[in-house]
Order: sequence, then C-alpha cells, then structure tokens
Amino acid sequence: MSNTQPAFTASDGMKVIESMIAQAKNRFSENGFLYLLWGWTVFICSLGQFVLERAGYQQHYYVWGLTWLAVIIQFVYLARQQKVLRVKTYTDDVIKYVWIVFVVLMAWVGFLLGHILEPAQLVYVNVFILVLYGMPTVLSGVLLRFKPLVIGGVICWLLVLISLFIPVVYYPLLITVAVAAAWIVPGYLLRARYKKSHAN
Amino acid sequence: MYKDLDPILHSQLRLAVVSLLMAVREAEFTFIREKTQSTAGNLSVQISKLKEAGYIEVEKKFKDNYPQTICRITPEGIAAFERYVADIQAYLKGDITP
Repeated sequence: MSNTQPAFTASDGMKVIESMIAQAKNRFSENGFLYLLWGWTVFICSLGQFVLERAGYQQHYYVWGLTWLAVIIQFVYLARQQKVLRVKTYTDDVIKYVWIVFVVLMAWVGFLLGHILEPAQLVYVNVFILVLYGMPTVLSGVLLRFKPLVIGGVICWLLVLISLFIPVVYYPLLITVAVAAAWIVPGYLLRARYKKSHAN
Repeated sequence: MYKDLDPILHSQLRLAVVSLLMAVREAEFTFIREKTQSTAGNLSVQISKLKEAGYIEVEKKFKDNYPQTICRITPEGIAAFERYVADIQAYLKGDITP
C-alpha cells in the first residue's frame, strides 16, 4: 500500500476505511480448542461417573480429578497463545471476562450447595450446573455471532426442564448431553470456521 | 458543504492504520503491516507521524527476546477519525448534490 499516490480522494478514503474494518471483522480468532478441551473432559467425567456409580463404585466422583489435567493443559495453551497473539479485540476481552464470571459463579454455587445439601441430595448440583453452563455459552455465541453456541446454551436450559421429568440417577447424563451440545459440537464447528478463515 | 479533510488522516496508509486500530483494542506492527500490505519502512514512518499527532500510542517491548511494537488508538485518534468520516461523508454528499 503506497502513501504517495497523487490524488487520494474522499471516495478513496471511504474505500480504505471500509476495507480495513472488513479486514479486522473477518479475522476469526476463536479456534475452538478450549471448547473441545473442556467439552471432552466434562463429557468423559460425567459419563464416567454415571458408569462407575451404576457399577456400584462408591468413589465414583473421583473421575472428576481429570479436570485438573484440563486446567494444566489450559494454562499451557493460554501461555503459548499469548506468545503468538498479534492483535487483541474488545470482543476477545468481553468473552474472556464472561468465562471468568462463569468460573467464579460455578465455584460459589458448588461451595454453597456443598454446604446446604445433604450428601444424598448432591446429585441436584447437576441441574444448577446446567443452568450456569447456558450463560457463557449463549453470550459467547452472541458475541462471536456463532449460532451453534447459542443453540448449545439454550439446549443446556432445555435439559434443566427435562430434569424435572427423569429419575435423578440420570442427572449426570444430562451434563454429558449438555457439553456435547454446548461445547463439543460447536467446538468442532469453530475449529472448521477458524481453519477456513485462516486458509485465505 | 466542503470541509478541509484532516491532512494526517487523508493519506492512504495512515488512514488504513487508524481504521484498523478503530476495530481492535491493540495490534502488533507485523499484524498492521500484513493487513495494510505495506512495507516495514513506509509503515514505520507513517506510524511515527500518527504518534506525533497524538492519534495513536506506540508501546515497544520485548517478547521472547524479540522486539515487539504494539499500537493502540488514542481518544484523540478516535475523535479525529470520527471527524474525518463525517467530513468525507459531507464531502461525498456535496459531490452528489452540489
């Protein structure tokens, strides 16, 4: 792009503005990695817990220890991303804070329900988790203008409704279905969209 | 109807840089160079001019022992850009209905 063109008109100015804003908008930074990481981790943990519980294993919840591995992978991934990141957008910032708020809410809800509920009632925590899953998923979908995430978030909330009509022993499976719909499927679609937008 | 267009912004590369920075929170020099398809030398000169005008701020730091230049638009830059857009809109409108 030259800076010494003889006649740069107002109409040329408008074209430059439109082209640059389009360049920034078309840049798609979300590659779906964290959705897939957490989607598969929670999928395996919730399904694993259900299977172990049905098999009569008392410490079936131990399987959730796998989430610590996901936390480590996430930290390594984010540190690497920070090194290669060449541009920061306001949308990226807002999405980051939406997920931070979600983690804080999850921690508080988990802590409070752990105190309030009797051990036999802890299975109801799954329903509260579903309510919370919907929030960051829908908001991220809206901010990224990515419908599969919005649909995934809404599915989480519909599963809350379904929980009223099924036996509590199946509640962990609602989480399995929720993460498949809200994170795993959109995660693969995000990855495909990212590869497409970076192929040009 | 006609207003004098801001000479700092009424230049293809400087306008491209400011337009790009309007759409993001901050961007690295290499990103701007890639998107504007400019040479490093020319871009460097134009970024200095925008910085002198107070339209952008430039942060130089090191990442993994490599120098890194990060650019951000300033409130003055945003105001100048908005003024420029209003001016060229008025100018273009004047072209159509003189």
